[in-house]
Amino acid sequence: MGTFMLMLVGGGGAVACGAVAAWLVSLCQFPGRGMFEWLLALPLAAPSYILAYAYGAMTWAGASPVVVQGFWGAAFIYTAGLYPYVYLSARAAFASQSACALEAARTLGASPWRMFTRIALPLARPGIAAGGALACMEIAADYGAAQHFGVTTLSTAVFRAWYAHGAPGLALQISAVLLIAATAFLVIERRARGRAAYAGGSTRWRPLPRVDLRGASRFLAFAFCAALVMFGAALPLVWLARLALMHANVEDIAQPFLNSVLLAGVGAVVTLLLATAIAVAARSAGGAGKFVLHAAGVGYAAPGAVIAMGALGLFGLARDAGIVGGLGAGLALCALIWTYAARFASAGVQPIDAGLTRLSKGLDASARILGAGPWRRILHIDLPIAAPSLIAAALILFVEILKELPATLILRPFNFDTLAVKAYAYASDERLLEAAAPSLLIFLAGLAPIFILTRGIGRARAGAR
Amino acid sequence: MNVYSARHYDADRRLYDAFEEATGVEVRVLPANAEQLLERLRVEAEATEADVVVAADAGNLWRIKEAGLLQNVTTSALEQGVPQRLHDPDGAYWGFTKRARVIIYRKDAIDPAALSSFDDLTNPDLRGKIVMRSSTNTYQLSTLASRIERLGAANARAWAAGVRANFARDPQGSDTDQIKAVAAGEAVATVCNHYYAIRLQNSADPADRAVAEKVGLIFPDQAGSGAHVNISGAGVTAHAKRRDRAIMLLEYLVSDAAQTMLAPLNDEYPIRPSIAPSPALAALGAFREEDIPLDALGRHQAEAASIFEEVGWR
Repeated sequence: MGTFMLMLVGGGGAVACGAVAAWLVSLCQFPGRGMFEWLLALPLAAPSYILAYAYGAMTWAGASPVVVQGFWGAAFIYTAGLYPYVYLSARAAFASQSACALEAARTLGASPWRMFTRIALPLARPGIAAGGALACMEIAADYGAAQHFGVTTLSTAVFRAWYAHGAPGLALQISAVLLIAATAFLVIERRARGRAAYAGGSTRWRPLPRVDLRGASRFLAFAFCAALVMFGAALPLVWLARLALMHANVEDIAQPFLNSVLLAGVGAVVTLLLATAIAVAARSAGGAGKFVLHAAGVGYAAPGAVIAMGALGLFGLARDAGIVGGLGAGLALCALIWTYAARFASAGVQPIDAGLTRLSKGLDASARILGAGPWRRILHIDLPIAAPSLIAAALILFVEILKELPATLILRPFNFDTLAVKAYAYASDERLLEAAAPSLLIFLAGLAPIFILTRGIGRARAGAR
Repeated sequence: MNVYSARHYDADRRLYDAFEEATGVEVRVLPANAEQLLERLRVEAEATEADVVVAADAGNLWRIKEAGLLQNVTTSALEQGVPQRLHDPDGAYWGFTKRARVIIYRKDAIDPAALSSFDDLTNPDLRGKIVMRSSTNTYQLSTLASRIERLGAANARAWAAGVRANFARDPQGSDTDQIKAVAAGEAVATVCNHYYAIRLQNSADPADRAVAEKVGLIFPDQAGSGAHVNISGAGVTAHAKRRDRAIMLLEYLVSDAAQTMLAPLNDEYPIRPSIAPSPALAALGAFREEDIPLDALGRHQAEAASIFEEVGWR
């Protein structure tokens, strides 16, 4: 029940904030718009558990403008931290919309609000839904923030069974419930979207007509975007920086930083390949491909620690069968990357699939008539057109893996720490001052990919070249 | 040699460095949480590379032993270094630090005489004035497990229900968060491990020190059964490939050299009274410890979790 309510409030908040923000920067003109285009994506770099710690500390110190506690505290963290998922995919969707439909609406005298609710929003629905689904699954899988704020969810129940009752088997059973719920959720989402076709629309690409906001609405648009950036990124960043400075004798975190970047890079590439294969298969193949698409999506809703247990279990089977020996450094890293792929494939599949969905069906048919085989069609038409989505997916995966904690914690080799592991080690020992520096670095390491990512979406629009 | 450790202290790394220096044996560490380390050990079975497991809380160590993942080790150095109550009777795990579960109260809100025992936390006068950490936490489970051992399950249930009735809010946050809530006036008292209070006193953050100013620390049940004390401990894995070195490390952890080095770094109590604790701990003075077999904390852990759930202490 806690999971459901958090999805409703936290996920709903993320969808509303993300969609409105994407609309504002894509289709309106107001002061600071260009800057907000990428600033709005920043909270993506902040893991929920670190936001929870930072806001918990700020609330206590009286430095937080909102009281972040209990259920509403958790919902606030999810809204502030997860809206970028919706923002990014909605923005990609807005950016690829036809200027004609919007201009026609404008000619017919529609107000900006009416254009948003009747034309732009329905057309962007696949993008918003994809982002919303990611945010909701992130909420379902999250343990750190829910536990910190004392909200009982399916995830906290998993860990209660495992940690308090010492019953990992029971924990797996509860996880299965979580996965079934996620599957149902995804199927409903696909069904709702499946009936309509969103492809094409127009072949005439021109810059989108932006609505020039005036008077109070200018100010409101600015304030809204500024508030999102402040709550999702700026406030916790400043607070962490303050704590990090206070604890000057920080242990060497250069090696963990390199380890993090290395793992995230390799993990992102492997996961991207898998995600692309899944997304392409789902389009060209029939039911089986669709099934794989759903199955891959479900991994995202499972707590990372549970998936890591699955990886350990697989390793155990392989060991019993005599295929492998001990869990040495090389094998441990392979298992870790496999876990990333299992857990995050969905985060990659969603944007790629959304990118492919926008391909005009006619394009595929034309290529077929001209005698192009399936491989040729995929390599020369589908993938180049979906390239911006692929880059976006790779960057999202990089940031996701950078933030990942539980699987990294248990599957990594000896003497191999990452930033997330360092942050956890200190935070679990309640040394928030020491935890601040690695947390801050996770944040900062995620900034560069996010900057590239948001720049890429703006350019991805064909007419913008 | 390889160590799985559920303790993440920088102090421990310094200890391993000193061990490397003294013996020339390299120590590679994998810090993670106890429950996950247990699963990894279980799956790896005889293929494991880990020689030693280190964990906080006797309940965690007991679980690893019950899963058959530790081997019994007894040497005279270990027996002389660790008081009998603070190691597994079979020698599967050996304590090397102690921590006390204490009552923290706001000085301007209550007379400490009214909080001399854990029983006082159930006093109806304190309705809406107690904050507590979640019962998922292993320290909390062990505290209740010790009560089940001493006074039985019915008594433990009544106590948990009584404290639960006095909650000012649903359990949330860490031990440190509870202390801060008490200082901020959200509650009058809480229960935590002693070193969290000491850390606030010595923190680099002036806001933390202000918290420490406002609260006092009580060793509970000094007139009765004594304060609940838990250990951090280590054991040799069942399939250790470097058993001799593993035992060397265990003996080193309880040696005078390691104990004197660790005491001022972490504000935990040394494993035996002959080693001086940190100045901050010395200032608190001596206290009486409860006397129950440590493995009771593990044996009653699952029951403690059920009791917490029954009374709605989540």
